[in-house]
Amino acid sequence: MIVTIAMMTGCSPAAETKPGVKQIAAGQKFSGFLKDYDALTPNPNLDGEALTFAAKDAKQNLRSYFAIIVDPVEVYVATDADVNQVSDDARIALTNYFQHALVGAVSDAFPVVDTPSPLTLRLRTALVGVDVGGQVSTGDVPSDAKPLQRALNIGKVGVEMELVDSKTGERIAAMVDRTNLGDGAEVGAKDFSRVQKFAAAREAFDEWALRVRTFLDSEHELKGEDAVLADRSYQPY
Amino acid sequence: MKKLSLILCGLLILCSGPYFAMEDEVPSFHAYVDSDLCARLMLGPITTARVDCSVKTYKDGSNPVLVRLTDNTVFDVNKQKLLKDHVGGFGVAAGEVKVKSGTMKLNNFKPADRSEIPPGPEQRLLDVRTYTAKGSAELHEKIRHELAMIAYITTFDFISFSMVGNDVILSGWTVRDTNRSDAEYRVKRVPGVGTVVNNIEILPLGGADMEIRAAARTALQRNLSTYFWSNGSDIKIVVKNGTIILLGSVRTQQDSDIATIQCNSVSFVFHVFNLLRVTGPEQKQKEKDKG
Repeated sequence: MIVTIAMMTGCSPAAETKPGVKQIAAGQKFSGFLKDYDALTPNPNLDGEALTFAAKDAKQNLRSYFAIIVDPVEVYVATDADVNQVSDDARIALTNYFQHALVGAVSDAFPVVDTPSPLTLRLRTALVGVDVGGQVSTGDVPSDAKPLQRALNIGKVGVEMELVDSKTGERIAAMVDRTNLGDGAEVGAKDFSRVQKFAAAREAFDEWALRVRTFLDSEHELKGEDAVLADRSYQPY
Repeated sequence: MKKLSLILCGLLILCSGPYFAMEDEVPSFHAYVDSDLCARLMLGPITTARVDCSVKTYKDGSNPVLVRLTDNTVFDVNKQKLLKDHVGGFGVAAGEVKVKSGTMKLNNFKPADRSEIPPGPEQRLLDVRTYTAKGSAELHEKIRHELAMIAYITTFDFISFSMVGNDVILSGWTVRDTNRSDAEYRVKRVPGVGTVVNNIEILPLGGADMEIRAAARTALQRNLSTYFWSNGSDIKIVVKNGTIILLGSVRTQQDSDIATIQCNSVSFVFHVFNLLRVTGPEQKQKEKDKG
């Protein structure tokens, strides 16, 4: 019965087949990283394929928070990928870079902190659809960079993220971004951030992070009644 | 030949020294010793009321800061004890300043009498007339509107400004870097604005202050809900190192008093500065009677 319901909602939990790596179950529309996908709707402020959700509760919405904890990024590999070919080095290179890009994209609007407290959000993020790429030869990377045994292919990767209250875990906002930004891009070195061959992967990660920021900006934009009230109430001293 | 290049290099470094030093200077300048609170709110001439504010709020727990007289830039200093006996007075400060962050590594502070302030820009900024001759009302309103529309301003931020002719001094407190830079960017692009001095302070996000912010907001929302709406509020709650500064406006003196009582009931609060403006008919009648 439970399996049937899970299949119908398209979010059966993915199995962790290797530490730090989960695999998307066959036939699933979403990875299962988010507990609930029902409230997500297309966002006109973001081009491409993005679905978002933002709580509208007057006392608990995105504007009620101003600091953020950025959690380590999780990895969901494609259904047909060989999980055993995803090395720890490769996963760490990928997730560290993206986590760093996320911090860079949001930190001036949401100061990054490391302990839960009131007014602080927790940003949970997953890279979904990572695939195993080809073998990396030492000639592909400069001598001072450390090549991975197998590259990771991010050609069909999407991003799922949610912002939850860092104290209660209540969901405040979420986003599933399936915009294909990494077409043909691979991560083939541990320190790929400085290898020209992997510039496309860096650009894709940076762009995904910026889209998270665009989503946050659009939710903070003063519109309609909010703009009128903000203008009316503000008097300098 | 090699010797000549070295000499040329040395000369180049010597000549270009002052240009490199523009951001991180090691200068000395005439300054007014203010309290953090008054320096960020009472922008303008050093009047008797300003001095009273500086001395009183310093005694109540507001940190001493330096206000550079040439341009009204406020500096948080590392050695506050060098200033503690001089709040409300003038002097010559020497040390390394970082204009962008509004901080100064103070090496030395020598008190000075007001009469010792040299004529020129320093004296000009002490003069009340410099501030009363404000820029146009239209320009003032454009700046006010631009600042009101900053997207990431919350209940925990307060940004103020003052004009010296068409030059603008930004001030106040914010919990976000982006508000500090966005305010400056927005004001700079208003046609007719001259220079912009940015004295907006980025507040620390210590765990205790976060708890205080959340508790104070909850208490005020519960008791003065009329001043809060989904995405903002008339009452601003600035929290810095256990001190609460209440800003904004309420309609009655009673509401203002309730705000003080509620904030004083929050755990770990050292002091509450209530600077709420009372704007209702009751206050207007009082002002009318006085006038």
